[in-house]
Amino acid sequence: MAQRRDDRYAFDGLPLNPVEPGTNLLVTGPVLNGARELGLRLLCSADADGGTVLISTDSGATAILEDFEGCGGVLDRERVRVVDCAQEGGDLPEDSVSAVSTPADLTGIGIEYSGHYESTYASGYTRVRTGIITLTPLLVYSDDVRTVYRFLNTITGRIGSADGLGVCVLDPNAHEEQVVESVAQFFDGRVDVRADAGDLELRVKGLRDQSAEWTPVGART
Amino acid sequence: MSDSPTVLCAQPDTDERAETADALTDAGLAVEEVGSVDSLEVALDRSIDCVVTAFDFEDGDGFDVVDAVREVYPDCVVILYTEHAPSDLPRGSPEQVVEYVPQTVPESRERLADIAAMAAAEVTQAAYPVPDTETERLAAVREYDVEQLEAADTFDRLTALMTSHFDIDVAFVGLMDEHEERFLACEGANWRTLSREDSICTHTILSTETMVVEDTHEDPRFAEVDELDRLDIRSYAGVRITDKDGNAIGAVCCTNGEPRRYTRAELDDLRRFADEVEEQLRLRRRLQRGT
Repeated sequence: MAQRRDDRYAFDGLPLNPVEPGTNLLVTGPVLNGARELGLRLLCSADADGGTVLISTDSGATAILEDFEGCGGVLDRERVRVVDCAQEGGDLPEDSVSAVSTPADLTGIGIEYSGHYESTYASGYTRVRTGIITLTPLLVYSDDVRTVYRFLNTITGRIGSADGLGVCVLDPNAHEEQVVESVAQFFDGRVDVRADAGDLELRVKGLRDQSAEWTPVGART
Repeated sequence: MSDSPTVLCAQPDTDERAETADALTDAGLAVEEVGSVDSLEVALDRSIDCVVTAFDFEDGDGFDVVDAVREVYPDCVVILYTEHAPSDLPRGSPEQVVEYVPQTVPESRERLADIAAMAAAEVTQAAYPVPDTETERLAAVREYDVEQLEAADTFDRLTALMTSHFDIDVAFVGLMDEHEERFLACEGANWRTLSREDSICTHTILSTETMVVEDTHEDPRFAEVDELDRLDIRSYAGVRITDKDGNAIGAVCCTNGEPRRYTRAELDDLRRFADEVEEQLRLRRRLQRGT
């Protein structure tokens, strides 16, 4: 594992400068055409003490772990854990995976997430990257958006105060603009993603020392 | 009087509770202890910044604690500290989102204390977005003690003028406190306060743009807010007011019982009304301070 040069979270192979501990990022763009992939790449950690907790709402644990590995993530059950909110029955593949019956159960998701966070931390992986992949089902399944606000305050609050990194993927075209704008308030910065003739590009809003212009995202090496 | 954040620690077992309280105290927190849900409800008459609770009580469970806390302190962080694994807990309702620290991790009390200290100082479990500069914003709101500024008559006249100018049901000037909006002047209704999670102004203070909701039933942020229907707020336009440092302290707003659109000219006029309120507040504060 790499020896890191400072406490900031780095993103190997991506045109993003490292961000401060405690940063929460909202990744917006077409989920199946770049945003999900970029979100997973942001969650890959090269740090020896780096862990990842994935809240998977759009696919089961097995599928998202495969996708995470395909994006460069290292599958180690001690340091990569999943809250599976899209499980379609069957046994859970690992102790490092837990299931919540529906994306509407925000209380259950929050408790499972905190449990995984603590287990990851207790295993010595204290620099935890958290991914919500994606936020759309949580918004769609919640009758009242205020419950999602409370959930986001709780999750981003823990990430911020524990010097973690948060990455939340959202397809803005799936929601009313007002909802997207209000959700963006919970995050320190926003990474917009688009696919131009098949090539991914990103731009960053709200964070210093980042490119606000569309910048090509190199293919994973 | 301690300046330390106050944590309410609810655990039924006296010895366990004492150990938890010691860990929380060592983390620099002021600790109040209770052993039941009933006694917790009584203790909530004091100011608290965070609640740490077990799950099993003789007179209820951890979700009863969440409900009791949220009734009094809707934004307060509640941390469930229990030996139950998440899968062993009953399913809570979505509004019962909590923090959770399992007693089964090594040195769990120390870990709990770290999380409680961070939560009490920095985190909210509010059901609405909070400005990044909330601490500075609240300090700015406290600077504008309107009773001392003697601005109420002025704002009464302005809001009366607004209702006739825009031909609307209600016009108001509101200050956004920590947990609720406080109406300084309200023409057309007798509103005193409104909780932040129910108030449209909660969103207005986040943006420099004028906030317009033509139909609350068609806006997903507000369609499920029953309190707006109870107050007969079907449409809304509002402009935030700030102090000289840019901290949003409140808003100047129009509401109507029917869906309504606002023309560009009307929104320009609304902004002028808000500028007038802002200027009155700043001027009166300067006069009060003699600067």
